[in-house]
Amino acid sequence: MSFNVLIVDDSNSMRAVIKKIITISGFQMDKCLEAGNGREAMELLAQNWVDVIVSDINMPEVNGLELLDQLSNNDMLKEIPVIMITTEGSEERMKEAFSRGAKGFIKKPFLPEEIKKVLYQVIGVGQDGQYEEDTRSSDELDF
Amino acid sequence: MDNMKKTQEVLMNSIFEVFEKMFFVFLEPLDEDIRYDMVTSIHFSGPMKGDIRAYISKPIASIMVENMLGMDSKEVTDKAMEDCAKEALNMIAGSFLNKLDSKKVFDLSIPSYEKKTGKFSKSSDATIALIFDSDGQQMGIEMNMETKK
Repeated sequence: MSFNVLIVDDSNSMRAVIKKIITISGFQMDKCLEAGNGREAMELLAQNWVDVIVSDINMPEVNGLELLDQLSNNDMLKEIPVIMITTEGSEERMKEAFSRGAKGFIKKPFLPEEIKKVLYQVIGVGQDGQYEEDTRSSDELDF
Repeated sequence: MDNMKKTQEVLMNSIFEVFEKMFFVFLEPLDEDIRYDMVTSIHFSGPMKGDIRAYISKPIASIMVENMLGMDSKEVTDKAMEDCAKEALNMIAGSFLNKLDSKKVFDLSIPSYEKKTGKFSKSSDATIALIFDSDGQQMGIEMNMETKK
C-alpha cells in the first residue's frame, strides 16, 4: 500500500528535505505534491487526492492554521490528516493546531525518524504497511 | 546567572541545535570581526518582541545548502542559499522562543533577506551579538529584544 503526500512549506529547501526524508525513511509514498502556501495547497487539492498533508504554519498568503480551517470547512477534504511541521512549538500553538484539525505535530529542527513515526501514526498504518486500529485521540499522539 | 546571560545561552543552544541537526554544521564561538555576504532577519512578537538577524558569509551558506540538500558545491544557486539562510533563521527564532518559554505564544514574521556585504562585530549595539566559526567560515547572529511593559 502506498500513499499520496502533499508537502506545504514556503521554503523550497525544506520541502526538498521533507520529501527526501520521507523517501529514504521507507514510507510507502506514491505521489508527492508540493505547495508554497495554503492557497496553493487548496488549488492542488481541487484536482488531486492525497492521503496525508505535511504543512508548515508560518507561510505567506494563507498560513498553516488558515489551511486547517479551509480543510475543516470542506466536506471533501476534512478527513485528510494534516501534520504540522513548524518552528512555532509552544504548547498553546500546538493545542491551537490540534483544535483546528491537525492530527500530528513536529517541531523544527527535527530528526528524520520523527517524521516517519508521526506519518505512520496519523495514517493509522504500522511501519510494516498494515493498518492498525488507533483508538487514541489526536492530543495523545506523540509530538 | 543573570537574565541576559541566560537568554544568550538559550540563543546559542538554539543556534547549535539548528546548525547541527539540519545543516550538519558544527559551530565554535569566535571573538573576531567577520565579513558577511548576506543578511537575513526575522521579527517576533508576543510577551516580548524583537528581531534576530543572521550575517552569513557565502561559503558557509553554500555549505548549508550542500549539506541540507545533498548537493555538489557547483550546483548551489543564490536562490538556494537565500532559502536556506531564511529557513535557518526561522528555525533558530522558533527554537529560541520555545526554549525561553514554551507556555507563551509568539508570532514570527516571514524572514526577510538582503544580499549585501559588510563587517559584523560583537561590539554592535544589539542586545546580544554572537560570532561563530565552522572550519574557517564565519557567521554572526544579533538579537534585539524589548520586554513588553
